[in-house]
Amino acid sequence: MAEHQIPVPRFFVAGNEAEAIEKAEALGCEVVLKALVPVGKRGKAGAIKFATDAKSSGEAARQLFGTVVRHYPVKQILVEEKLAIDQELYVSITLDKPARKIAILASSAGGIDVEEISAKYPDRMKILRVDPFRGLADFQAKQLWAELGLGGAVLRQATDVLIKLYKVFVKFDCTILEINPLVITKNAKVVVAASLMAVDDCAMYRHPELAAYVQLGSDRAWRPMTALEKQVVQVNEDDPYRGTARYTEMDGGDIGFMCGGGGGSLMMFDALLSYGCKPANYTEFGGNPPERKVFGLVKGILSKAGVKGLILSANISNNTQVDVVARGVVGALKDKAIDPRKFPVLVRFAGVNDTAAREIFKEAGVEYYGEEISMSMAAKKMMEKMKQTYPGSQESQAASGA
Amino acid sequence: MVTKHMLKYGTPVIAGVTPGKKGEEVHGVPVYDTLRQVCSEHEINTAIIYVPPAFVLDAVLETLDNNIKLMVVITENIPQHDVMKLLLEADNAGARVIGPNTVGAINPKERVRLGAIGGDNVERCFVPGCVGVISRSGGMTSETSYMVKRAGLGVSTAIGIGGDSLIGSPPKGLLALFEKDPDTQAVVSFSEPGTSFEEDVAQFVAEGGFTKPLVTYVAGRFTESMPEGTIFGHAGAIIEGGKGKPSTKIKMLRDAGVHVVDRYDDIITVLQSLNLEGVRAHAATSER
Repeated sequence: MAEHQIPVPRFFVAGNEAEAIEKAEALGCEVVLKALVPVGKRGKAGAIKFATDAKSSGEAARQLFGTVVRHYPVKQILVEEKLAIDQELYVSITLDKPARKIAILASSAGGIDVEEISAKYPDRMKILRVDPFRGLADFQAKQLWAELGLGGAVLRQATDVLIKLYKVFVKFDCTILEINPLVITKNAKVVVAASLMAVDDCAMYRHPELAAYVQLGSDRAWRPMTALEKQVVQVNEDDPYRGTARYTEMDGGDIGFMCGGGGGSLMMFDALLSYGCKPANYTEFGGNPPERKVFGLVKGILSKAGVKGLILSANISNNTQVDVVARGVVGALKDKAIDPRKFPVLVRFAGVNDTAAREIFKEAGVEYYGEEISMSMAAKKMMEKMKQTYPGSQESQAASGA
Repeated sequence: MVTKHMLKYGTPVIAGVTPGKKGEEVHGVPVYDTLRQVCSEHEINTAIIYVPPAFVLDAVLETLDNNIKLMVVITENIPQHDVMKLLLEADNAGARVIGPNTVGAINPKERVRLGAIGGDNVERCFVPGCVGVISRSGGMTSETSYMVKRAGLGVSTAIGIGGDSLIGSPPKGLLALFEKDPDTQAVVSFSEPGTSFEEDVAQFVAEGGFTKPLVTYVAGRFTESMPEGTIFGHAGAIIEGGKGKPSTKIKMLRDAGVHVVDRYDDIITVLQSLNLEGVRAHAATSER
């Protein structure tokens, strides 16, 4: 923000309590301490503290460093000057997908959640949809704030800030840029006091300068990514243009889950749960991946502790070569010294080159089906296979309740 | 491979465009440097766009500039800002975009397939018939068409609309086309969490915009018990701010009179119960 001449409070980043005290002293005023964690609504989550002097900021820092905010342990905190607030505004920039425009949502009632603003103060909220080819004109930004009651020098500053925010949003391919609050200080300055920004993973090739700040694939997890998840992201990135392999670790579970396709995997996961199976992970792959990508993916799936079986069920493929997938799967089983005659492995995968695939799986001793059974049937068969192999096991019989 | 499969199926592929490759041929199809060159020598009505993510926006603008009104954007992982721009330009030009991130579309009666849909063995899933198929997932477009075949029926047109939330042809608009299509008697759709596509469909059906039988399966019920804001499967399959929940979609669709099946395989029995024309005639031919 500061690099783009957007006014922000004076701030420092602190990695421990002593540093926090030192930085608060350097600021020489009342300070705000904010946990640096990638989650919204930090105030509500207890991730923001106020301190009147250096000593009390040490106390506040100690409290923050000891906490975990929505699964994210606090490792760094922001120490910034506390603003003398006159009024709090809200502004967010997002993509309005149905309208195919960039939407700017602004309100004169900032400092609270946007859901609360729209519920309590709908008349203090305005939406402006911007043609992405034309961009945001000065007059539009000015008009928006004027309609929300701003005037004088503050109107000019807020207009300038919004134009700059819009430029940042476009320049960095953001999917959201939310400023809450945008503060008007007692001496009539407009300052960005808190921001949330998400960058489109698909556009990262245009922003190598941001690579150090983002974790690819983090929108597929609700907590810091696990070592296995990062390992599979690497497997995927090793062949960036051929096929996709994704892996999300679930809590517990005993069945390695692998499905072809985004839609099919949602359906299969539901089907497995409905039969009382407990998948240990969520994985989908597709787009005709090379053998070594499948190999790396299956190895990852089988590496999780507690995995006692593997199901690969996919829809009839349009372009994924089933024989290539078969070689990757069989290779990974071999690599992990798993004998599919003892360790339950079930495959339902028809499609391109499936005659060759059937042979590869059969030779390796894997129970293989093509289109002769449905995907739901494959889930049912897997449940039976787990029960047969591990009779009396609690895990394979527990109902999911889903 | 896709060009070969399309030609083999009987779809007329007139020309290809790859800058710098003018004069070459792919499976007998001539290649040109620019679309303008193609259009000066041939009549073109459809473009399939396969270029890498960074070049898609430009390719779509080139297509629109040459007055082609139907395009299928196969490419996945296009920056969202680019997709927004290309869809806006297509809307302004009155053109239809299928995709991005789609397997394509197929009409078995006309033997037209656009994209990889159908793979190397089209008839395995797609036989001619009276049922329209809509799915965000390419794979489930085929699998669902296979369910239609197992019900003793066939497909009028099947469309993979793409797995992203920002797409050119959401289901509602396609249902409006199926409503007018004399070859379509019913539609089966495969639904997923995220977006408001299904909610829009429910409203459209409730308002009488689509009057033929609609059968749907809503996948991903488990995602509701996971933390919000996590993507499972397609980029578009994300529940945010309480929106896009399968349970909400199911309720709205059922209230509107849509046949929502609890188990995917039930699509077969529901289709059979609809007494659609040509069930028997087709069942006989599909056995060969």
